[in-house]
Amino acid sequence: MIWKFKSSRHQELPLSKDSSNLFLKIMISISVFLFAVTLAGVLAINSMLVNWNASILGSLTVQIVPISNSDRQKAHDEMLEQEQRAVALLSAMPEAKKVTALSEDQLQQLLRPWLGDDVDINELPMPRLIDVKLKSGAEVNFKQLAEKLATIAPQASLDNHKLWLNKLINFAAGLKVLALAVLLLVIGVTSGAIFYTTQTSLGLHKDVIEILHIMGAKDTYIAQQYAGRTAWLGAIGGIIGVMVAVPVIFLIAHLASQIEGGIIDEARLSTASWLAIISLPVFSSLIAMQTAYYTVKRTLERMM
Amino acid sequence: MFETQETGPIIELEKVGIRYGRGPEVLSNIDLSLQRGSFHFLTGKSGAGKTSLLSMMYLWQKPSRGRLSIFGNNVNFANRNSLSLFRRRIGVVFQDFRLLEHVSAFDNVALPLRVSGMSEKEIRKRVNELLKWVEIDRSTSAITSTLSGGEKQRVAIARAVINRPDILLADEPTGNVDNGIATKLMKLFVELNKLGTTVVIATHNENLINEFKYPCICLKNHNLTIVPAGEKIHDMEI
Repeated sequence: MIWKFKSSRHQELPLSKDSSNLFLKIMISISVFLFAVTLAGVLAINSMLVNWNASILGSLTVQIVPISNSDRQKAHDEMLEQEQRAVALLSAMPEAKKVTALSEDQLQQLLRPWLGDDVDINELPMPRLIDVKLKSGAEVNFKQLAEKLATIAPQASLDNHKLWLNKLINFAAGLKVLALAVLLLVIGVTSGAIFYTTQTSLGLHKDVIEILHIMGAKDTYIAQQYAGRTAWLGAIGGIIGVMVAVPVIFLIAHLASQIEGGIIDEARLSTASWLAIISLPVFSSLIAMQTAYYTVKRTLERMM
Repeated sequence: MFETQETGPIIELEKVGIRYGRGPEVLSNIDLSLQRGSFHFLTGKSGAGKTSLLSMMYLWQKPSRGRLSIFGNNVNFANRNSLSLFRRRIGVVFQDFRLLEHVSAFDNVALPLRVSGMSEKEIRKRVNELLKWVEIDRSTSAITSTLSGGEKQRVAIARAVINRPDILLADEPTGNVDNGIATKLMKLFVELNKLGTTVVIATHNENLINEFKYPCICLKNHNLTIVPAGEKIHDMEI
C-alpha cells in the first residue's frame, strides 16, 4: 500500500533533481500559511460563537429607564427605588446565580469610550443597569418575568441580548462558512498543483519508468517513490508555512486586542486550536503524498 | 489472477501481426512456438522486425492482431499486475543497454531484485557475485554514465540474468565487447540455458551463429522462418 516505503528506499527515479520541487515547496508553504491563518480565524470565530452563545444563555440585563420629571432629584430617587425592587425580585428568582446593580462608576466606565472623562453623568438622563448571571442550564420565562417587573418597576425593560447577539452570531457564522470555503479552495489549488507537476514529472522520466516496468515493477512501486518524495516536500513546505503563519497570527491577535468593546476579546485560540495549527505540516505532507500517489497510479494506467 | 502452466510452449504466437499507428504491418501472420529450455538465434536485416518481435516477447508491445501466449497465458487478457509478474521472469538485454545512467552499476543490476521485493542482504550477495563474474567488480559503485560501452553492456547482461529468468531475450548482446568477452558471455547464456532458461538472442554476428549451433529464427519481408541448428542460413541477409 501507499504507506509501504520499504521497497522505495532506493530511488531509481531522479525526482530530487526535478525543477518543479522548488515550485511545489513554495506553493505548499504559501498554501499552508494561508490555511493556518484562515484556520486560526475559523477557530477564533468558533470560540467567539461559543462564548456569545454562553452569554445569551447565561445572562440577562434589566434596564431602568429614567423618569421624566421636572424635579430631577425626585425622579432619580424614584429610579433608584425601582432598581432596588427589581434587584429584590430578580435575586428571589431560583434561576438567578448573581444579581448586580451597576454602580455609577461602572456606568461611567461603560460610557467612557463614547463620552470621554470630562462628562458628569449625573447631569445626563442615565438609565440604571442590573446584570443578572443565570445558573448553568437555567431557562427563564422572559414574558412572565417582564410582566412581574412591570408591576413593581414600571420603568424596567428586560433585555436578554438575543436580538442583537443573534445578528452578530449570524454574521460570524457567515464569516466561518466563508473561511471554510477558503480552506477548501487552498486544498483544491494545492492538490491541483501537485497533480500537474507530478504528471509533468512522469512525462520527463518516461524512459526510466519504462525500464522499471520492463524489469517487472508494478505501478505501486513507482507511485511509492513519487509519494515519498512529495510527502517530504509537503512536510518541508508545511513547516515553512506554519513558521511564517504563527507570528502573523500573533500580530493579528495583538491588533485585534487593540479594538475596544470586548467583542474581539472573546476570539481566543485554545491550546487545542494551536496544536491543530502546528500539526498542519503533517496534514500537508499526507495530502501531498496521497495526491501524488493516486496521480501516478491513474496516469500510468493511461500512459502505458 | 493468472496461473503459470509449467508444460507446453513457454512463448506462443499465433497469426500475430503488429503495426504502429496506422502504418503498414511490421510483422504479419507470425506463428512461433518456443519450447521451455530452448535456445534460438533471431536474425534478419535491419527493419525486419527483430526488435518488434522481441518487444512482444518481453510484453512491452501487445500484438495488433493474433494471439500471444506466455507461460500458458494469453497476454491479451492479462491485467497490468499480471504483466508485471510475468515480466519479472523475463530477462532482457537491449541493444542500447537502457541502463539507468544516474545510478551505480550495482543499483542497475539490483533493480530486478528490488522490484521483486528481495532483501537487501540477499541482493548485495547476489549482485556482487555476478558483477565480479562479468569483471565489473572494481567499478560497482561508479555512476553508470561514467562506464565504457563494454562495461555498460556487461552491466546490462548482469541485470538481465540476475534473477535467473525463465526467458532471456538479448538484442545484440555481444555488439560492443571483444571476442574473448563475447565468447565468455555466450557461455553464460549457454549455462543459463542448461539450467532451464529459454534463450533468444538477436544478432547479426554470423560467426556466433556458426560457432554455437542453435536453431535460427529468420525474419524477412515481415515473415518468419526457422532454420534448424547447424544448417546454413541461405538467402538471408544477416
